[in-house]
Amino acid sequence: MAESASYTEKLKRWDRFKAEKFSKKAPVTTPYPFIDIEKPPEYRGIPHINPEKCIGCGACVNACPPDALIMEWDKEHGVKRLTYNAARCIRCARCIEVCPTGAMEPTTRFEVATDNKEDLVEVVEHKLAYCEECGEYLDFTERQIEYVRNILPKDVFDAYALEDRIKLTQEEKMRRTVIKLRETEGNVYPAFMLVRETKDDGGEE
Amino acid sequence: MVNTKDLEAHFEFECKACENGRCAKADVNSILSERKGLRDFYEAFKEHIKGCKRMTYGQYQFVIDREVLPEAVLWWHNHPEFKETHLSTAVGTDERPLNGHFVYMPFLNVQVEFANEPENYWVFLRTYLLADDPSFPSVAEKLPAALWIEREVKDLLGFKPVNHPDPRRLILPEDWPEGVYPLRKDMDYRHSPITEPKVEFKEKPEDTTLVPMGPAHMGIEEPAHFRLFVKGEEIVDVDYRGFYSHRGIEKTGEGRLTYNQVLFLAERICGICGYQHSVSYAMAVERLADVDIPDRARYIRTLLLELERIHNHLLWVGIAAHMVGYDTGFMHAWRIREPVMWLVERLTGNRKQYGMNIVGGVRRDILDYRKEEILKVVKQIREGTKTFLDVALNTNTFIKRAEGVGILPYKVAKAYSVLGPTARASGRKIDVRKDQAVKTATAYNEIDFKVPVYKEGDVLARVLVRMDELFESLWMVEQLIDQMPGGDIMVPIGKLPEYEEALGFTEAHRGEVVHYVMTGEKNKVYRWKVRAPTYNNLPAVPEMLKGYHVADAPLIIASIDPCYSCTERVQFVDVNTGKVKVLTEAEFNELSIKYKGVF
Repeated sequence: MAESASYTEKLKRWDRFKAEKFSKKAPVTTPYPFIDIEKPPEYRGIPHINPEKCIGCGACVNACPPDALIMEWDKEHGVKRLTYNAARCIRCARCIEVCPTGAMEPTTRFEVATDNKEDLVEVVEHKLAYCEECGEYLDFTERQIEYVRNILPKDVFDAYALEDRIKLTQEEKMRRTVIKLRETEGNVYPAFMLVRETKDDGGEE
Repeated sequence: MVNTKDLEAHFEFECKACENGRCAKADVNSILSERKGLRDFYEAFKEHIKGCKRMTYGQYQFVIDREVLPEAVLWWHNHPEFKETHLSTAVGTDERPLNGHFVYMPFLNVQVEFANEPENYWVFLRTYLLADDPSFPSVAEKLPAALWIEREVKDLLGFKPVNHPDPRRLILPEDWPEGVYPLRKDMDYRHSPITEPKVEFKEKPEDTTLVPMGPAHMGIEEPAHFRLFVKGEEIVDVDYRGFYSHRGIEKTGEGRLTYNQVLFLAERICGICGYQHSVSYAMAVERLADVDIPDRARYIRTLLLELERIHNHLLWVGIAAHMVGYDTGFMHAWRIREPVMWLVERLTGNRKQYGMNIVGGVRRDILDYRKEEILKVVKQIREGTKTFLDVALNTNTFIKRAEGVGILPYKVAKAYSVLGPTARASGRKIDVRKDQAVKTATAYNEIDFKVPVYKEGDVLARVLVRMDELFESLWMVEQLIDQMPGGDIMVPIGKLPEYEEALGFTEAHRGEVVHYVMTGEKNKVYRWKVRAPTYNNLPAVPEMLKGYHVADAPLIIASIDPCYSCTERVQFVDVNTGKVKVLTEAEFNELSIKYKGVF
């Protein structure tokens, strides 16, 4: 954490005129693009997805105003695909604010001119978790489930019996609840009522 | 919030606000007695008023019959006591999915007394138009300020202003088919049909010569097509065709985005007054959700607004110098301006398009050590500008070209509802920062500043007004730094109330920016109307041009600091300018197939 303090110090000391490049050359004109242009450390450049930290929750996709971030599900291959397109990006840095794991990293890069549009696209693919019971793919990625395991307190896990149910599809969860209720209550309710009740239950998670 | 009389019986729709319990069933009499003038208006139009309510603090709405619309607007506009009242703009809404009617709603900024903050207010005159016959009597016949407003609703929503003096197309491109109205709710925002272009230009008066200026304005480098009709060197009449950069922003905001996403779109309406739009929009949503944002956020917003004003005025004075051929002044003005851009880049993360706002506050805090830096820049700019003005105002090239040119008399300025420095140079004492300063998203009511007013009305007066304002802004920045309170910088706003309306406004460096927001379901925006100040200033330009020489025309046009992309907010497609033949789409396709691979 000593690093962060020195960063603030660095921010304080940063001065456009005192930056080394300008003291050696003429004060205003520089031979850009042949040198690296001096940018203030606060500059909002294009963001970058760190694939190691990303869990594929899609918070950034919901916040992005110009649809530069897109989420796709490929349930056949069990893949959730997060695509970032710098050409659509307006550098508002909303994705960086909302990211729960800090996977969206700010940079000070602003030069995105290219002769190949594919250079501007970043794709992160996540493995979808699959149902332990029926083998179908869930809507969540494996990392999302891992993340939930880490952050949820144990009481919540116990209260909703999540340990058993977290890796099941919605239908499977509903079916199990129905069975359980039938067992405990001796099937006093008609089946359709039970299904509706469990549906609400499942939605809470 | 109050609904009076038989609003439900008339229109068979329910007040959704009542259902949510937000609509306090207040007494009409107490509302009418809140501000001066409301009761007089009620008495004068008693039979035609179907309802009245307070939308939010200082914003009152009357539901009136469409037959008396011109009389009602003129009653406010020509009010003998409230001299500086002006027609701000009008909103047309397609409310057919809600209650089966169209809505046309002009609104006025009522200035009871200059700088009397808790007394001034906004008046909205809501009229319901029939779905199968959306016609209303034109106000433009008697009040030129409504000329463009009515042409706009005619283009975008298909309303029919009866007896409009100039019912040509204003906003939509020439090759847009008749009878397709983009802002109606039954049209998808991606739909963009094209037919053969049909050009409607004003007839050339007898014995005059046509001098086309545009479609790109020299100096400002933005699209605007002026057609000057000249006799010798003198300009007799002017025709204007603009809206070449109409981008359909309002439609996009209504179609797809949630309220926090619209904010970033709002900031991108304009290249140089983006933050003003952003604050206005944020304010509209905050007022409508009835949230008071933290003091620190208000101060930070005001600080950035004033920094924006400083660099914009320097930019403009540079352009004005460039227009009169005094390029040294241009270079110096922009040199002085640059440190502000660098400062703002460090405060917010970008030179322009700050991205600082979020509905409910700001996103970055101003750290303490930055304050010294701001004060350093302010000092530097004050000295720089003083030296620059000393030189510029003693340069004959500059003074002789600007003095006595492009005079806009007070009466014309009032009739066209001209705003901002253009109005203040013609003797209109208006400024929303002072007039409507209570309960806004900014902190103007807590700091001290003067509003410079000049009576001459020429280009030089506009230069001087702006330069005086610049020094006031520097003084305001110093005060804001000094008085900046501590605390939070934002409050979260969860769910928005449904079908509520409110107005957000700021005084941009060109005049008042107005954002009207009506919410829909699921945190979306049902109607978002943006009115940039140039929208009111530009129709008055032909009046300023008449009687002056062609050589002065670029300077006079530039003197209102026009911003076309702000004004036009909307969509693609180039058109037949009358000079060059433009290929039709079919011809173009044919050619491109023929020469495929050659070019």
